[in-house]
Amino acid sequence: MGYFENLEEETLKLYEIAKEARLKGHDIELEPEIPLAKDLAERVEGLVGPKGVAARIKELEDDISREEVAFLIAREIVTKKDVEGREDSIEVQEQKSDQAIRTALAILTEGVVAAPLEGIAKLKIKRNFDGGWYLAVYFAGPIRSAGGTAAAMAVLIGDYIRISLGLDAYKPTDTEIERYVEEVELYESEVTNLQYSPKPDEVRAATKNIPVEVTGEPTDKIEVSHRDLERVETNNIRGGALLAIAEGVIQKAPKVLKYANILKIDGWEWLGEFSKTSDPKDDDGDAPKVDDKYMRDIIGGRPVLAYPQAKGGFRLRYGRSRNAGLAAMGIHPATMEIVEFLAVGTQMKIERPGKGNCVVPCDSIDGPIVKMKDGSVVKVESEQQGKKIKNQVDEIISLGDMLVPFGEFLRNNHILLPAGWCEEWWVQTIENSNLYSEGDMDIKSLEKANINSKRAFEISEKYHVPLHPKYTYFYHDITRQDINQLVTFLHENIGISDINMDINGGNGNAPKEEDSLNNDPSTGLTIKMGPEKRILEVLGVPHQVVGENMIIAHDHAYSLLKTLNEPITFSDESTTLESINKVSPVKIMAKAPIYLGSRVGRPEKTKERKMKPAPHSLFPIGTNGGSRRNIVDAAKKGIISVDIARCKCTECGVGSMQAICPVCGARTVPTSSGKKRINLANLLKKAYKNVGVRKIDEIKGVIGMISKEKFPEPLEKGILRSKNNVFTFKDATIRHDSTNLPLTHFIPREIGVTPQKLIELGYTNDIHGNKIEDEEQMVEIKIQDVVISDNCAEYLIRVSNFIDDLLEEFYGLERFYNIKSREYLIGQLIVGLAPHTSAGVLGRIVGFTKAACCYAHPYFHSAKRRNCDSDEDSIMLLLDALLNFSKVYLPSTRGGRMDAPLVLSSRIDPEEIDDESHNIDAMSKIPIELYEKTLEFAKPSDVLDLVDNVKKRLGTDDQYHGLIFSHETSSIHSGPKLCLYKMLPTMKEKVDGQIKLAERIRAVDQKGVVEGVLMSHFLPDMAGNSRAFSRQKVRCTKCNKKYRRIPLSGECVCGNNLILSISKGSVVKYLEISKDLSQRYPIDNYLIQRIELIESGINSLFESDKSKQSSLDVFL
Amino acid sequence: MTDDIILKFTNADLLIDDSAYKKIVEQEHSNQIVDSLIKDLSGSNDNLIFLTEPIVDQYIQKYLSKYDPQNYANQDSDIIEEMYNEINNNKTPRNKLLDVPFDFHVIQDATKKSYTNGEIKDFSAYFNNRFQKIKAMLIKKPGLKDSYPMKDVGVRDDVVNVIGMVNDIRNTKNNHKIMEIEDETGSITVLIHNENHSLFELAESVVKDEVIGVIGSKKGTLVIASDIIHPSVPRIDEKKMDFSAVFISDIHIGSSTFLEDAFKRFVKWINGDFGDEEQRKIANDVRYLVVAGDVVDGIGVYPHQEEELTIKNIYEQYEEAARLLGDINDIKIIIAPGNHDASRLAEPQPAIPENYAADLYKIKNAEFVSNPSLVSLDGLKTLIYHGRSFDDLAMTINGLSHQNSDLIMRELIEKRHLAPIYGERTPLASEFEDHLVIDEIPDIFHTGHVHINAYKKHKGIHMINSGTFQSQTEFQKIYNIMPTCAEVPVLNKGAFKILKFT
Repeated sequence: MGYFENLEEETLKLYEIAKEARLKGHDIELEPEIPLAKDLAERVEGLVGPKGVAARIKELEDDISREEVAFLIAREIVTKKDVEGREDSIEVQEQKSDQAIRTALAILTEGVVAAPLEGIAKLKIKRNFDGGWYLAVYFAGPIRSAGGTAAAMAVLIGDYIRISLGLDAYKPTDTEIERYVEEVELYESEVTNLQYSPKPDEVRAATKNIPVEVTGEPTDKIEVSHRDLERVETNNIRGGALLAIAEGVIQKAPKVLKYANILKIDGWEWLGEFSKTSDPKDDDGDAPKVDDKYMRDIIGGRPVLAYPQAKGGFRLRYGRSRNAGLAAMGIHPATMEIVEFLAVGTQMKIERPGKGNCVVPCDSIDGPIVKMKDGSVVKVESEQQGKKIKNQVDEIISLGDMLVPFGEFLRNNHILLPAGWCEEWWVQTIENSNLYSEGDMDIKSLEKANINSKRAFEISEKYHVPLHPKYTYFYHDITRQDINQLVTFLHENIGISDINMDINGGNGNAPKEEDSLNNDPSTGLTIKMGPEKRILEVLGVPHQVVGENMIIAHDHAYSLLKTLNEPITFSDESTTLESINKVSPVKIMAKAPIYLGSRVGRPEKTKERKMKPAPHSLFPIGTNGGSRRNIVDAAKKGIISVDIARCKCTECGVGSMQAICPVCGARTVPTSSGKKRINLANLLKKAYKNVGVRKIDEIKGVIGMISKEKFPEPLEKGILRSKNNVFTFKDATIRHDSTNLPLTHFIPREIGVTPQKLIELGYTNDIHGNKIEDEEQMVEIKIQDVVISDNCAEYLIRVSNFIDDLLEEFYGLERFYNIKSREYLIGQLIVGLAPHTSAGVLGRIVGFTKAACCYAHPYFHSAKRRNCDSDEDSIMLLLDALLNFSKVYLPSTRGGRMDAPLVLSSRIDPEEIDDESHNIDAMSKIPIELYEKTLEFAKPSDVLDLVDNVKKRLGTDDQYHGLIFSHETSSIHSGPKLCLYKMLPTMKEKVDGQIKLAERIRAVDQKGVVEGVLMSHFLPDMAGNSRAFSRQKVRCTKCNKKYRRIPLSGECVCGNNLILSISKGSVVKYLEISKDLSQRYPIDNYLIQRIELIESGINSLFESDKSKQSSLDVFL
Repeated sequence: MTDDIILKFTNADLLIDDSAYKKIVEQEHSNQIVDSLIKDLSGSNDNLIFLTEPIVDQYIQKYLSKYDPQNYANQDSDIIEEMYNEINNNKTPRNKLLDVPFDFHVIQDATKKSYTNGEIKDFSAYFNNRFQKIKAMLIKKPGLKDSYPMKDVGVRDDVVNVIGMVNDIRNTKNNHKIMEIEDETGSITVLIHNENHSLFELAESVVKDEVIGVIGSKKGTLVIASDIIHPSVPRIDEKKMDFSAVFISDIHIGSSTFLEDAFKRFVKWINGDFGDEEQRKIANDVRYLVVAGDVVDGIGVYPHQEEELTIKNIYEQYEEAARLLGDINDIKIIIAPGNHDASRLAEPQPAIPENYAADLYKIKNAEFVSNPSLVSLDGLKTLIYHGRSFDDLAMTINGLSHQNSDLIMRELIEKRHLAPIYGERTPLASEFEDHLVIDEIPDIFHTGHVHINAYKKHKGIHMINSGTFQSQTEFQKIYNIMPTCAEVPVLNKGAFKILKFT
């Protein structure tokens, strides 16, 4: 049986159990409420309908593109008349348009995101002032989750529906247009920034020309000044509509125009004006300009690791390790250890090629070069070494490599940047050399071999290839004067003991053995310290300091002296590197032609999801449970009055609030909801009895239900959750959240799975085609298998115990999981679900990671519409979702259906997932031609013939396997598991750590970091909070009611005390640390004065002039 | 409406005959006339209880003549003087008034009176003080004399007569207005029916957190309003003024858009060294210069401000201000802070602190007051307020905008509060006393902040917005705001003039 069939069979087994349980009638529905969907078409039907659309989508899909399918389906829905030959009524047309736009949008968003459900409020057919009918699309806030392109397409679909219905175009009045202009500005100043801020004239042009009315629900309480317009129902900001216009139609103008052309929709030509503003990163041919966008905000405790293109920053290395791709990039674990603020899964904001990434460990790339406190310069080669020396590090001269897959450049449409000179490129130059004949050397082992410098020169001379990367230093980072100063210095200082450094071919005392390294200081070059030491440091030449002397190991001394065998000339305008190449016997490549800037972003995360406060049960108890919402405490009151569903028995008509009539045992139906007195003491007693639990100290409920029906969960579920120490989310499922990371291959030992178990799970061979029998083999992961964190495993075991208790005690069925240790979790099915989406993705646990993340095949993350730049989302046990999830608990408010498993994709089709994942590299090496293209700043789309990636495999069996990597990683969880940010308890310590690190990294300007933290984090925070303090709300300590302004009575209507919502503490929290920083570092006077001003403002708000006077009196 | 008018008379214990009634309803502003008439009568000693047509007719004539809106057209051409010509060096002799010592004193000022500790009880005290202060004004109003606490609304009979602070006001689906008001004893929900046009229109300008009187009748849990009463001000008599006072604000020294040359011309003029004879004559009558905030551009006021500053140092900005203003001779300069100055942001803002503006404090005739403050200039009570709350009012009340700050100023005077709306853009400090209540009726009400001149006389009060000495900023460019630069308002012996220094 194939992998997918296997998964499906297991899934159906769980559905059967859930069905049986549900049939007992304790829940509102008699069967599981998550429909299974095998593919996109079924997901669309499951999510938005209409019935039967899945078949039609599949039919059309064969011939035309997905976008065209979406539009065609929309047209078919609106043009199919209820009665053949007769026009539908306006109401019917509105209904059909509504269905059409949702279905079409769902198709465009792969039937995953919630936008088609929640992003569009309604469609209406309205009248122009000239009497013509037009179509209005009402957007809601959650349209955001669809992304700009889909939002823009929704507008275009709207127009397509309008044309299909033969309606007139929307003709806005000038006031209506000006209202949009005002709203966009107001939205940006009062709510949040738009990804793209359109100029007023752009908004005018767009709103004037879009042929449908793009309007929507009020999303924010802010009112506009263009009020009471006849056709605009609200005076508040329409956030959804603004997103659709600004981030949609305007920002994505080229795409809209493209589809308008493909589908022959007239009336969008004006968009041509907007299309000119193309992606600024798409500048070809030339070296990229400094891009410091990632530095715009420097946040307290999140260190800057490298300034834009600063020397000593991350070196660009092309390639993909088995845990990279989809915005995850490799860093040497030694770098992670030494900077401490990076752990597996920590997000970085980066200069290029994208905006952000997630850090994954890769130890086959270059680690950092550091200067120790004693002055020695060390190239750190391993995680262990990094750990050992990190406390002795004085300066981080180079951060080492950042492994960036080619696909990341492709994904971001960013020109290729010159590659750093590396071993895998070097060996290819040999292979490509005319002087090389097959079999001369074992190329594969040569790449990894630790060859000595003498041999390195010999190879280069023999095959006319550039010098080995190891003996190529960062020559481009120093000046030509520096070079000559160094040459002179070296030659002057070669003492008697160094005669053995016979660099001109003689034998001397040089190591005899051909291929062995010589790092023994006693045979190295010993020279007296001088100012030239700094040049050696910048070059990255390792050396030891012993007393007054520096010792350069033999190999490095040899290569240095051999490369710089005479002073260089200054006769022309050449760069340092060009000048060196004029004297060097072999070609010297640029070690790091470009550096990548970065700063630390969001820390990694893996944690159970808890609402605040976290309930065990969705059972409303009002304020009767005290601040802890304890049902047990509330039950002590006996009868309490709560807002709850009223259900009526279908047989005897008795009213209750349960799915089963407490009198006759028949099914009930919810009829309404309202305040009702319930005997909680009794209910709880019964529930205890039902599940055989004697007593529990705390079962947390909720104050009130936020769903429409207010139907409560059976108390038994809460008892059992509390017993097993698990918590529920708003939809009655139990979630665990982790940072997403990609994984294409694993080693059984590293993820804690045995070969036997793997074979049981359907794995057969390792990547070399050998049978799986050893836990050290390299195995390609199956696309729906996931590796969960230790923390997640521990929680899921508790969840499984809860489910077993629930099955046995509540539903009267057999226990299912029977999990005794975490190994039992392997092979269990889970549901992956991302926020802003409404479709879960079926997954299977295959192993565990120590890292704070969830490793899974990039397809799995992409199927949830996530990438790996620190996006996090949740997993739940499939049986939990099937048994406990119910739509009846979902909030009735807008957005309530987001982050709920409304449908489950059982099978991932790589063609139907977000096309981000199609850019994943599947190459065992970066071909030399590609390296050469990087030197020309080629566009990634122009060199696709040189690469192998998922896109090239789509539709074939190869899309499922053979996604090989180019760089090895000995362990996917090497490096720290917790970044320093999360370990340090206070902001002061975090900031101290950040600034200390800035002092140590060569690529970072410490003063700039201090100023940056103050300017973009602390000062705005203090200014904002002190402003907010003086216009804050107050709230009740007991019933939590909020007041815009304190009532004149001074107390809550419930009679209790009110407290401020913004405390003095939150206003002053960064004041001391800011002052401290301003005193300790030579920061800009402007900032010092700003801090002073803020301080005096704050003091004026919190210190009475009276107390100031009286304290003065003491001294007078 | 009919019912309203009769109700009002009934409430005032007055009877009215048919013909008199007809006469009233014929009038365009019948409601106002009724109010005014009732007020007039209740204020007099006559024990009139029955109104006949002649009485009413006589009153209407009187009313119309009195309330005929004096239209001081905003920036009328004949009050604007362009300053072109710089002439001769022979100084026009100073007005003899100069020898008279300044009769200047501060009537109200919040500097060094910040007693808040930022605790919740301070917030409570602040709003209660506001309520009590304005309630005391309202309760003197005819129609509200019999007002009673809100907790009694439930137990009393149909007529509702209360004073409260507005919690919320919004439109219903059927386009009526629903307003929630409270006092310290409770709150009520008031409905303003859209068919009661005049009242509905009046309610359009009601804002959150102002204190008003409501008269109406009970209907279930709702109160149907028949009248809304603002504290308002009576018409005041114009005081005699035999000197000139000059009003400026929003100089923004330190900003790259500060119009230094124009400001220097202004200083020259005020010293009698610039302008034609007529203009210099005005200058020589000047005894007072009032600065209503934003003397300097400040630092860190908005993001990336440093890019638009020529002086990036707050101390140096004030040093420069002292240099420029220090050239002014023999004139009392009264300086209040604005949101760009080095005072705290929350209002009331204490005077610009001496430690930031040491040189400014050294100017002999300079006086530093809070924002807001009330000062007496040779007997003319001048209320100085920078105008931060204009942002909120322009956003809230239909028809108000930064371009017409005179309309906003009128609203504030009618509401007797300078920043009624809490919780929006204007930060308010929770002082025990609400310094933003307009306790005393000023003769002059001077504001700034919006960078656009405005002038109107309202019930005898000169309302002046003094524009700016800063040219259009980047921000204003984006929002298409056209400032009126270097146009200086002068009250010249009671007559309003604008002098242009561009």
